Amino acid sequence: MLIEQCAYGNRWRKVAPAAKGLFCLGGFIAAFAASQPAAAAAVAGLVVLITVLGAGVPFPRFVRVALPPLGFLLLGCLSLAYSLDFQGASNDFTVLWLPSGWAPIRQLAARSGAALAALLFLALTTPMIDLIALLRRLKMPEVLLEIMVLCYRMLFVFSEALHDTRTAQAARLGYATPRLALRSLGSLTANLTLQIWQRAHSLHIAAQSRNNDGAFRFLEPEYAHVRRDLTIAALGGALLIGLAVGMP
Amino acid sequence: MKPLKHQPSHRRTPVSSAAPDFTYLSPHGLDSGIRRNDEILLAFEDVAFRYPDGNTGLDGCSLSIVRGSRNALIGANGAGKTTLFQHANGLLRPQKGGIRYAGRAIDYSRAGLRHLRSEVGLVFQNPDQQLFSASVREDVSFGPLNLGLDTETVRQRVTAALQAVGMEKFADRPVHNLSFGQKKRVCIAGVLAMQPQLLILDEPMAGLDHAMRAELLAVLDELHARGITLLLATHDIDFAYRWADRIHLMSSGRCTSAFAAAELPDNAETLSAAGLPVPGVVELHRLLVTRQILPAISSPRSLAELIAQLNNTQKDFQ
Repeated sequence: MLIEQCAYGNRWRKVAPAAKGLFCLGGFIAAFAASQPAAAAAVAGLVVLITVLGAGVPFPRFVRVALPPLGFLLLGCLSLAYSLDFQGASNDFTVLWLPSGWAPIRQLAARSGAALAALLFLALTTPMIDLIALLRRLKMPEVLLEIMVLCYRMLFVFSEALHDTRTAQAARLGYATPRLALRSLGSLTANLTLQIWQRAHSLHIAAQSRNNDGAFRFLEPEYAHVRRDLTIAALGGALLIGLAVGMP
Repeated sequence: MKPLKHQPSHRRTPVSSAAPDFTYLSPHGLDSGIRRNDEILLAFEDVAFRYPDGNTGLDGCSLSIVRGSRNALIGANGAGKTTLFQHANGLLRPQKGGIRYAGRAIDYSRAGLRHLRSEVGLVFQNPDQQLFSASVREDVSFGPLNLGLDTETVRQRVTAALQAVGMEKFADRPVHNLSFGQKKRVCIAGVLAMQPQLLILDEPMAGLDHAMRAELLAVLDELHARGITLLLATHDIDFAYRWADRIHLMSSGRCTSAFAAAELPDNAETLSAAGLPVPGVVELHRLLVTRQILPAISSPRSLAELIAQLNNTQKDFQ
């Protein structure tokens, strides 16, 4: 929901998604092309700055969205920091601290951070519907797009159904004790399963009533300054790559 | 599709305060669609349908919808209203009897159904059942794109349909950010974009607050003014009496009776047999006539009309 709010509320909502995608791609390439961790970190910082200052995504919100993936990144770094060393027949093992020094950790953290910043730039400035339309233009297989569209829409329908059912259960003390909570959770799952089946059937009927014969077709949104946006994005992406490669 | 402008329908014109006598032009009087044109657009002829689980959907249902008219279908829950609607749109096929659209028996071939579904638009009761695209514009474009129209035409139709329901500002919004009433209007736009002749709405007023109802009613009035035939299911007899040209009653899968809404006061027994009350305004009008406060002509269809009559009467006394 946080991502949704940013995607719809940022200053670059009307910028062509293709341009934002291109800039994100530039960020990715820069992240992987960065010769030094410092260069990757600079790329990450720059992209965050552009997201916050350029697109107007509030910084605290950016941090909140970034925290979970940063947690994963931390875990990844920790696994690099330790190493288990098995010693042959005795089955003994020792834990090695920093077997290859700080260098690979720094490299991983900086590169992943830059890639994450680039991805968050795209996610926080581009609504899902625009992303799906962009993927459609990029000739992504229709079946995957249809699944994406349905999943995205159903996500909200079901979060509402889930919320309503849970509230109704809680109102009748369904979650008063752990035992009751487990029981309620079970019936909630069963109920939702049934709802999913019914919803799928209703959607099928509704689609048929509007003359659908299988494939889902939707109108793609139009953007006013696609060329201009693309040029700026290409320049921005090139700048990032240049920074990543050129920085000593 | 012509973009619609909000213009008050002439039939809602209030009575002139300068009216010299009791003359009151009923808004559903001589100018109503039924009298003007009696072409039957949709006809159910003794249609029967039983669901695979044994439940009766329709049981010898016969019903006629006149082109250009406003129709209210009233029946208890489980009376078969939704089943009837799904038959009208070709989603279900009668097991007995037949359905005619514009004088011709429905053709259930792929091309025939495509034609029928472009002519008969169905708006479901629960908007979340009908809306499955992420954005408003996308969802409205779904139907016309299914008709095989080119992108430019679809774009125009989508814009016009969104204008017709007053939702053009929301075109790029995600569906889940809309209110219930807005979702309903998007559902109607999604069907309107297919430019149907007959628009069927399954309990469109359910779950709407007073303001949303008024907005939806304005949309329906505009569509009717444009010549679209309307058929809607409702439980509200007062609304049906006020709004419709013709009222159809359903019970246990049977279309038990149909009459012109103006003749409702004469059909009190039929209503009572269907477990429906007589609209409050009819009872009140009767009482006022009995007490000789109002003359026994032209039953008002709504409280507003009754009040207008009373005001006129008062002026006359003065």
